[in-house]
Amino acid sequence: MIWVTWRQHRLEGAWSLLLVAAIVLCLGIVIYEAGHPGCPAGARNADFCLPNNAGGLLAQQIMRFNLVQYGLVVLPALAGAFVGAPLVAREIENSTLRLAWTQGVTRTRWIIAKLSLLFILLMCAAALVGILEVILINSMGSQANHWNWFDQQAPLTVAATAFALALGVASGAVIGRSIPAMAATLIGVVATRFSLAVFARAHYMSPVLFTSHDPNSLNGTLGATPAAWWLDEPSFRDASGQTINQIDALSQIANLSPADAITYLRDHGISIVQYYQPADRFWTFQSIESGILLVLTAALLGFAVYWVTRRVT
Amino acid sequence: MISPVQATGLGKRYGRTWALQDYSIRVPAGRIAALVGPNGAGKTTFLHLAAGLLRPTVGEVRVFGRSPQEHPLLLLDRVGFVAQDTPMYGDFSVADMVRFGRELNSHWDQEAVETRLQRLNIPFDRKIGRLSGGQRSQVALTMALGKRPELLLLDEPVARLDPLARREFMQGLTEAVAENGTSVLLSSHLVADLERVCDYLVIINGGRVQVAGDIDELLAAHRLLVGPRTHEGDRPPGVEVVRAQHAERQSSLWVRGKVSTLPNGWREEPVPLEELVIAYLSVPAAGTLPKPQLEVA
Repeated sequence: MIWVTWRQHRLEGAWSLLLVAAIVLCLGIVIYEAGHPGCPAGARNADFCLPNNAGGLLAQQIMRFNLVQYGLVVLPALAGAFVGAPLVAREIENSTLRLAWTQGVTRTRWIIAKLSLLFILLMCAAALVGILEVILINSMGSQANHWNWFDQQAPLTVAATAFALALGVASGAVIGRSIPAMAATLIGVVATRFSLAVFARAHYMSPVLFTSHDPNSLNGTLGATPAAWWLDEPSFRDASGQTINQIDALSQIANLSPADAITYLRDHGISIVQYYQPADRFWTFQSIESGILLVLTAALLGFAVYWVTRRVT
Repeated sequence: MISPVQATGLGKRYGRTWALQDYSIRVPAGRIAALVGPNGAGKTTFLHLAAGLLRPTVGEVRVFGRSPQEHPLLLLDRVGFVAQDTPMYGDFSVADMVRFGRELNSHWDQEAVETRLQRLNIPFDRKIGRLSGGQRSQVALTMALGKRPELLLLDEPVARLDPLARREFMQGLTEAVAENGTSVLLSSHLVADLERVCDYLVIINGGRVQVAGDIDELLAAHRLLVGPRTHEGDRPPGVEVVRAQHAERQSSLWVRGKVSTLPNGWREEPVPLEELVIAYLSVPAAGTLPKPQLEVA
């Protein structure tokens, strides 16, 4: 079965390898540029230490289009659509299942052998890309908030690739045609990851309430934990805990010195509050979201095996 | 002897349409049996059920006494199947296809496969997608024979071949089967090709089994009677009319049974297989099935 799987999917394998090699090259250049000692402090752009002069041309191009940040998020979805979805679907639309399933190998062994090889190879590729992403993120040092790169972290990249593959294989088996299955996979992966990021992630653990009487907190830079994930905008509350209008509050302290302003707010029971997730929860959150995706992966794989062995005809 | 393919009350429904209904047949062992019927008669569905690719809606199909759906491990190695239009991986070379068969089948006969392909002058390095229709069908048959199956199921194996390639294919099949004593069930709507190689006939029509029996016996039991124009319902005594055709001055009756005394002005002719099949297919209500047999365990 290993040879058969290899022979049938070596084209996808070659494309994946090429893609991974290109990513490794690009990220390698970016990481090299980021850590290059010749990079003057004044030439740093946004998140990265990048020289604006010659040498960092490719890296700059990549940065300019945010390819790194957004490109890396869509990689797992692409793996699911281009490798996972056609796995069973193409055999259904070409009727070759009638050949494959009347050889001396049961459907169960057939699908499990294919899935195993596919997953081992693509998990390795995802892990490699994930490790490079970690190096990239770390090379940005304190300039980058890790929470902004949550989706590109290694555990989530690997888990998302597994999920995308499983969704691809399952939808391919159910839909039975490659192109619609690929579309369904892309939409499914994007929708799932978007929903997790936007609707679920902030609620994995109860947020912490930051409270201060210092109006400087409003500019967002103040706080004990600079790499925290701020969930909302800072707001003013009165002594009873009611939210009060920011303009009203600011007008009360408009003519006071910073020290007096703090005293005034404290005396009047007015505080500036903002919800956040502390920096030390980062890896817990990575584990939770990766775990959710892996549970979905297991369910989809179980469903795919069931569907292939019992339902596809 | 246990039947290679036996169906009892077998039915398969897609949505509201029954692809086949109340199928009961027992294909004899060691024979080349032909499954004949018009398009949409349920031939492919029946073969897919026997190959374990489909699950019956009602009834059961048994291959060597076992359900192919419940016991794939026991049957997959013993049954060779060539699907309609011989699906294969177009980007595989012939050699890749042979390796595919070797990797996936435990009784694979590599030597016989190579010998057969060499004898057929099929280049091993040619991609499957670039083979001619005849070569492609031969590769598919060789793949199925390479499993050394006890039962071979072929779905319209010659439908897309020209007459010469058709004859070569059938000849190859006959030889291969004679060597190994394999039982064969093949479907076709080209009746002329069957007479030369098949010895058992199953006619299915409208999703039901219409005729099942030994071809020699069927041919011996049927006669075409040609005589003066008779009225509907009139028939010579002692026979059963399968199909009647009345021209202006002459009537043709395809009948079953022994004609003892031929009325004046009538002549009797043997019925070729093709006409026999057409006679039954044009009258779906007619039918002849073997008498129930006692199972010998």
